[in-house]
Amino acid sequence: MVKEELYSYSDTVNELLARYGVRFGIYKNGTFKEQLFPFDMIPRKIGRDEFDYLERGLKQRVMALNEFIKDIYGDKKIIRDNVVPEEFVYMGSGYLAQCEGVRPPKDVFTHISGIDLVQAKDGEWYVLEDNLRIPSGASYPMIAREICRRSSPETFKKNAISDNRNYAKLLRKTMDHVNVGGHTVILTPGRYNAAYFEHSYLAEQTGAHLVTGNELVVENDNLFFKDYSGSKERVGAVYRRISDEYLDPMNFNPESVIGIPHIYDIYRKGNVALINAPGNGVADDKGIYYFVPDMVRYYLGEEPVLHNAPTYLPFYPKDMEYVLENFDSLVLKDVAEAGGYGVVFGSGMTGEEKDRFIAMLKAEPRRFIAQEVIDFLDIDIYENGEAVPRKADLRAFVLMADEPMVWKSGLTRFSRNPDSFIVNSSQGGGFKDTWVMEE
Amino acid sequence: MTKREEQKMRKLDFQYHMRLLFPEPVNRHHFTLRCFPIDSERQKITNLNIQITPSHVGGTETDSFGNRCIYGVVEKPHTEFCVSVDGMAYVYGDAFQPVADAHKIGMFRYNTDLTKIGPTLDKLYKKLSAGTPEKEAITEKALRWMEAVHSCIKYVQGITQVTTTAEEAAVFGMGVCQDYAHILLALLRKEHIPSRYVVGMMTGEGASHAWVEVCDGKKWVGFDPTNNCMVDDQYICISHGRDARDCTINQGYFYGSPRQIQEINVVVEESRDD
Repeated sequence: MVKEELYSYSDTVNELLARYGVRFGIYKNGTFKEQLFPFDMIPRKIGRDEFDYLERGLKQRVMALNEFIKDIYGDKKIIRDNVVPEEFVYMGSGYLAQCEGVRPPKDVFTHISGIDLVQAKDGEWYVLEDNLRIPSGASYPMIAREICRRSSPETFKKNAISDNRNYAKLLRKTMDHVNVGGHTVILTPGRYNAAYFEHSYLAEQTGAHLVTGNELVVENDNLFFKDYSGSKERVGAVYRRISDEYLDPMNFNPESVIGIPHIYDIYRKGNVALINAPGNGVADDKGIYYFVPDMVRYYLGEEPVLHNAPTYLPFYPKDMEYVLENFDSLVLKDVAEAGGYGVVFGSGMTGEEKDRFIAMLKAEPRRFIAQEVIDFLDIDIYENGEAVPRKADLRAFVLMADEPMVWKSGLTRFSRNPDSFIVNSSQGGGFKDTWVMEE
Repeated sequence: MTKREEQKMRKLDFQYHMRLLFPEPVNRHHFTLRCFPIDSERQKITNLNIQITPSHVGGTETDSFGNRCIYGVVEKPHTEFCVSVDGMAYVYGDAFQPVADAHKIGMFRYNTDLTKIGPTLDKLYKKLSAGTPEKEAITEKALRWMEAVHSCIKYVQGITQVTTTAEEAAVFGMGVCQDYAHILLALLRKEHIPSRYVVGMMTGEGASHAWVEVCDGKKWVGFDPTNNCMVDDQYICISHGRDARDCTINQGYFYGSPRQIQEINVVVEESRDD
């Protein structure tokens, strides 16, 4: 039994993960705590045919999303043609007026996308969320696989598992594709960031410099990296792991002390690539999610391969009616929130909470989406020596160079609480390796 | 331009001077300036002379709204930062900037953090929309609402700040041109009328001015709620955006004590140059 063989290395693997610093930072009540990101030894397996299907759908989806962002900050045809109502674009927090008219190098906006999917009990896959700003998580399955291979090489000889050690190569290719001349750097806010482990690991694996804002400087309309001796070398691509609003105090939040003054001005001129493009949030808003299948039809003229979870927009009176009638069977999400916050289940509310929520829904219908609760396929995890079923999702990574590339792996996150559907690492979930089988 | 065209225009000389004084020296002073009038359907700028001291390195660009910016950094310690812009403007009284693609101006239909409606403005909005005559044109409505905004607050300097929202100014009942403009924008956008914030200068001596432009479906028409009148050939436009933040005249970021004094002096007068 493969499972048990690998499982017998559980202690070794978890010790090594801890030793390498595979941590996730959490802010709780104002203090920063780093915790280990719990790893479960039972891999999630995805068959080759099934993954081929996902791959086709993911490429298609990300291409449509990239077109959408280009269109919104440019011609706005999708608004003119009444496919996406303009209020969902302009009222969403992800829309940035500063991005109007700005074309990134090679027209790539979605360099790295993290698409969250779940599989239902009937085997059907559904996309739950598109993460197009700075999706994190690839480093965890990367290092876990590396350690598992070293701990139990036999397992990987006996099983035909797609090698996932190429993520760094894919990422490097993605960054090099848009680099306008000079070094490639990974910009981190610093070690108190939740994903600092990932920033440093990806820098090490891709050979990019890991830098903080004060090591980069704009001069003569170019970006430079200042090394310890004070010498300056040009930077052509920045994989920035800080959010849009903190990127440049001259163009976004003026209070930011971790950004680089004027970096956005020279990006506007095409003198540096920013990965991912600022303003991408306009496409991964929970309200915009509803329209992604329509975007695929509109921009690509194809039927979407992947399905959204059945979603209702209370903004449309017909949908509002449905939501009010079926309130108890739906999950409601605040479009402005992320990371598993702002998600409530209709069935989980007391009468009073429900009344309050419905009043809020009626007052601000655009703020919420409602979805059918998908009966997730349970996946086994080991807990105290026995396998127990838990809810899990899959974050698939799609990287865009001259064409989209899907990483043959992904981050499978699970909920450690048997009654919970929320798998986010910021809510204390764990992760597993994802095996894409060769046959 | 032809002689006939020239006759239809008012010729204005303008000077815009800004001085920042720092009680203690600051360094690595990054700046982005947005105080340069540009050519448009309604104005032609000539003899533009721009001076920025102390010496700096940087560049120029056009921002996402089409405004001209000069940005740069003064590396060395300094206690004074001066900007002077002067030139001549030919202004058409009845020309307005046309709107080519109506589907592209949606961003001006939604309120921003600075123009968000609260209970006080909501009350005013309800009162105004209840009194709407049948078949009121957009410009007629803007005129009527401008009048209401003009009388809903008193012009008092020093009460509000650059970060004051429309709602806050309405609650104080006091403010300056920025606040008048934000309140009018808040109300118009609540009515889904695309409208934008404009920074500029008007004849006379004083500070820079701000007003509102409303899209009537074909073109941008200017309304000045501070003075309760329509914008004519006495106004020179500098920049436009969704609110005052988009039109920040001087954005700075520097190392040193944050204390500073800003002096602005604007003079616009009928050109004697003939």
